[in-house]
Amino acid sequence: MTARSFAPDAPARERAHSPSMLQRFWQNDAPGYLFLLPWFIGFFGLTIGPIISSLYLSFTDFDLLTSPDWVGADNYVRMFTNDPKFAASMRVTLFFVVFSVPLKLAFALGVAMLLNRGIKGLPLYRALFYLPSLLGASVAIAILWRQIFAADGLVNQLLEPFGIIGPSWISNPRYSLWTLIILSIWQFGSPMIIFLAGLRQIPTDMYEAASLDGASRWRQFIKITLPLLTPVVFFNAIIQTIDAFKSFTPAFIISGGTGNPINSTLFYTLYLYQEAFGFFRMGYASALAWVLLALVAAFTAFSFLTSKYWVHYDD
Amino acid sequence: MTIRIDRRSFLLGSTALLAGAAAGIRPGFAQEGANLRLIFWGGQARADRTYGVTDLFTEAHGGEIQGEFLAWNDYWPKLATQTAGGNAPDILQMDYRYIVEYANRNAIAPLDEFVGTTLKLDNFDADQLEGGKVGGKLYGISLGANSVCTLINTTAFEEAGVTPPTNAWTYDDLMAMGEAFKSANIRGGMKAIMDASYTEPALDNWLRQRGKALYTPEGQLGFAEEDMVEWFTLWQNLREAGVCVAAEEQALDTGPLETTMLVQQKAALMPSNSNQLVGYQALMEDKLDMCGQPRIAAGQGGGHYRKPSMFFSVGANSQNKEAAAEFIDFFINDVEAGKILGVERGIPAAPAVRDAVAPTLDEANQIALNFVSNLGDLLGPLPPSPPAAAGEIDISLLRTVGQEVGFGARSPEDGAQYFVSEATAILSRAG
Amino acid sequence: MTTDAPRLEVVTAHTPSPLRRRLTTILIHVLLIGASIAMLYPLLWMLSASVRPENEIFNATSLWPSEWSLDAYRRGWNGLRVSFGTFFSNSFLISILSVLGNVMACSLAAYAFARLRFRGRNFWFALMLMTLMLPYQVTLIPQYVLFRQLGWIDTILPLVVPKFLAADAFFIFLMVQFFRGLPRELDEAAQMDGCSPWRIYWKIILPLSTPVLATAAIFTFIWTWDDFFGPLIYLNEMRQYTVMLGLRTFTDSTGESDYGALFAMSVLSLIPIFVFFLFFQRLLIEGIATTGMKR
Repeated sequence: MTARSFAPDAPARERAHSPSMLQRFWQNDAPGYLFLLPWFIGFFGLTIGPIISSLYLSFTDFDLLTSPDWVGADNYVRMFTNDPKFAASMRVTLFFVVFSVPLKLAFALGVAMLLNRGIKGLPLYRALFYLPSLLGASVAIAILWRQIFAADGLVNQLLEPFGIIGPSWISNPRYSLWTLIILSIWQFGSPMIIFLAGLRQIPTDMYEAASLDGASRWRQFIKITLPLLTPVVFFNAIIQTIDAFKSFTPAFIISGGTGNPINSTLFYTLYLYQEAFGFFRMGYASALAWVLLALVAAFTAFSFLTSKYWVHYDD
Repeated sequence: MTIRIDRRSFLLGSTALLAGAAAGIRPGFAQEGANLRLIFWGGQARADRTYGVTDLFTEAHGGEIQGEFLAWNDYWPKLATQTAGGNAPDILQMDYRYIVEYANRNAIAPLDEFVGTTLKLDNFDADQLEGGKVGGKLYGISLGANSVCTLINTTAFEEAGVTPPTNAWTYDDLMAMGEAFKSANIRGGMKAIMDASYTEPALDNWLRQRGKALYTPEGQLGFAEEDMVEWFTLWQNLREAGVCVAAEEQALDTGPLETTMLVQQKAALMPSNSNQLVGYQALMEDKLDMCGQPRIAAGQGGGHYRKPSMFFSVGANSQNKEAAAEFIDFFINDVEAGKILGVERGIPAAPAVRDAVAPTLDEANQIALNFVSNLGDLLGPLPPSPPAAAGEIDISLLRTVGQEVGFGARSPEDGAQYFVSEATAILSRAG
Repeated sequence: MTTDAPRLEVVTAHTPSPLRRRLTTILIHVLLIGASIAMLYPLLWMLSASVRPENEIFNATSLWPSEWSLDAYRRGWNGLRVSFGTFFSNSFLISILSVLGNVMACSLAAYAFARLRFRGRNFWFALMLMTLMLPYQVTLIPQYVLFRQLGWIDTILPLVVPKFLAADAFFIFLMVQFFRGLPRELDEAAQMDGCSPWRIYWKIILPLSTPVLATAAIFTFIWTWDDFFGPLIYLNEMRQYTVMLGLRTFTDSTGESDYGALFAMSVLSLIPIFVFFLFFQRLLIEGIATTGMKR
């Protein structure tokens, strides 16, 4: 199906004479561009300027209080040759992404499927599972997480009868990152809701037909649910990964903005924030941001390119 | 081809935009007198007092003062953003750690031109005045003095049957107290003191007693690797002996009051600032007292100094510098204002205010006032303003290395060597 | 295709016995209840902290307060010079406007990306996605300067106008994925009938997209409600503060803090978002109850 003018008599008109570029634009591209008009205004008016500025700033030394000084590629050079915290924060962030995203998606999908069965009390359960995400970035979360994961916290109290004396999970550099991973997984409400919406879009008569043909629940899942859900799975995977790379607030409130103990919770954007606002090095922070952007963009491009092998759209 | 935008959504949208814009329009100022913007960090308690004073001021002088306050963590990004955007307020609260940055970058205005006329500072404590100077010019007016101290959980000491420390105590006394706490084993193994190996003021105090300093006036490190080795070893011994809390416990302290070892009931002693006693007492049932930081040997003093706890500075781009100076003068010199403010920001530096305020204080505040006024031989000379990179060295380096030594990832020798070399690198990079 | 006999076999083999079904349901409920407790515990803790004496909050071992008092709620509501009522109405205004803006503007953009073909479409789509990837800390200062030049500082405009201009790429992307899941035949059929793209968008795509629109509404509301950084930077007068910003002023690491009031107001601040969620989540289910989508 090709995009042609939506006016019914267009083909006749076009056979009559060759349309000019402007006319072609108006007939073929205009609808798209008109629908995108608000986005264009926003993009060119509010977004592109700051983005280009931040790119410019990444080549400067900018202490926020005076105007930026051009330093060329110095920031980037320093980042890759002389910055142990950069390497540390990259490690921490990659670890976080690799472990938190698949687990979070698995929980989200699993619970969404459970809730999609139409069990009693569905709205209540759905709200309950979304509750942690509502708590978001509140101070309360930091306090709570300490109550749960400190040496005398809930987790260790539960482990005690089994003879396991746990360390202070949240303040031990070997385990502290895991408490943040668990925090991220605990807030699986958002992808769960999206999975639910996606599941809801799959017509039930397909399942009925499959049942009649004798397909087991598992087969139905593999052959119907998963394939039809792939656009949503794709979306959630991309978004959760981008979010995980950009994750800031949990580490900020739980480590008090320090990334400690011993930089074990120094997320990349937390490091960026420290450089920008803590040490008055906004130029360097901008460079850090662009490196992150490049990394995430590469990952996203790769995902989009490979998506055609496993994501089924209906168009 | 036209796109028909539904009339309803268009109306809705534009009304919304207009409403939003209207909500943001500030009311016109109808009074005479200057209109000033003020920003400070703190909680409600401080805000109440501060607004009490701004009310007093505007009653007497007219004009209007629009105040804004934020928590410490939010304050600095906001102030930096406003300054970068050319939108900084007229009067801003400033900290010892940032005043050098802001002054050197001309983000705050020198106040010398107002001294003697609008800013009456004749009787002002000399060390408080000096503390606000950068490169010889006055950039900040001290809002109160505080000093480092050691907070004491007297109830816990009673429970353990140990005599609490006084200003005379030493690190050896600390070791003895630690042992006593160990045998007493109260409250699930409460230790004597927190792990202060990466608490910058504690290190500073210890160095000063030895005749050294954190930083020289030229902005270099004021001590050598051997000093650092000794410091880390001192704390490692305390840690191994169970006198101070373990590394894992100390790492729970991420800044907020409720995470500290004192409030978490893991330690009975904690280095802190004298004006914070009140804040801690509010969170704890146990009775708190304070004394100085431990001496390195009996009779050895000179570690403490009366630090300006915070300043008021004037934004460099302010259109109302004279009026701002007038307000600051009122804030620090007016007796009624002083009574409202109490010692919440520290001990007032104007003697007249100090004397008027003393009788009105409650018990916790009295303790702080008495302590700061009676430092005696604990007092040493005022240090030079720290170099701009001092903040980074504290947050980024000292804490990380201190934790590494605490967790056994580095030896004290290794940690000291790494610290000194990195600190020197940071200082030369910044300089 | 199988004959009758094998089909019957297969059918009976895959119908679980009533007992097995019962057990599965019970197991599921046990799991869900157990998980719910994990979800609820923090809320219970906050509730408890908001009604118990301040010096018990961090020291007590059980959730049950020794004394009950609503004082923290009173203190919190009026504690700052501006009452929390004002904060709540500010938050409402900003959040509702944001929902309107996002749903309208992002669905327009998403329709263009998902359903219309035009030159440069993939290029703009990639750019749109890129805006998702840049951490906000670095565009913050340039954006602040931009808004200052527009004179929008200390108003809610910097927070709300971008929503009406589809600045939230997340929702554009989300809706694109959903629109692409709707069959093209619907569009084509409408086209044959002479529908303009606008009509297709308004009469066909939107009504069928209630789940994703409801999702977008819920998320927008909650995220703008929970956002403190935007309000922190752009709102100067306390009268304009939002709830989240107000909450942050209750505690400060350098002085006295009122934790009881913090938790009391935190509990209250959860109520609107929870209610909004409960209300809109029905749209999620009822959206595509119809199986009118033939493939």
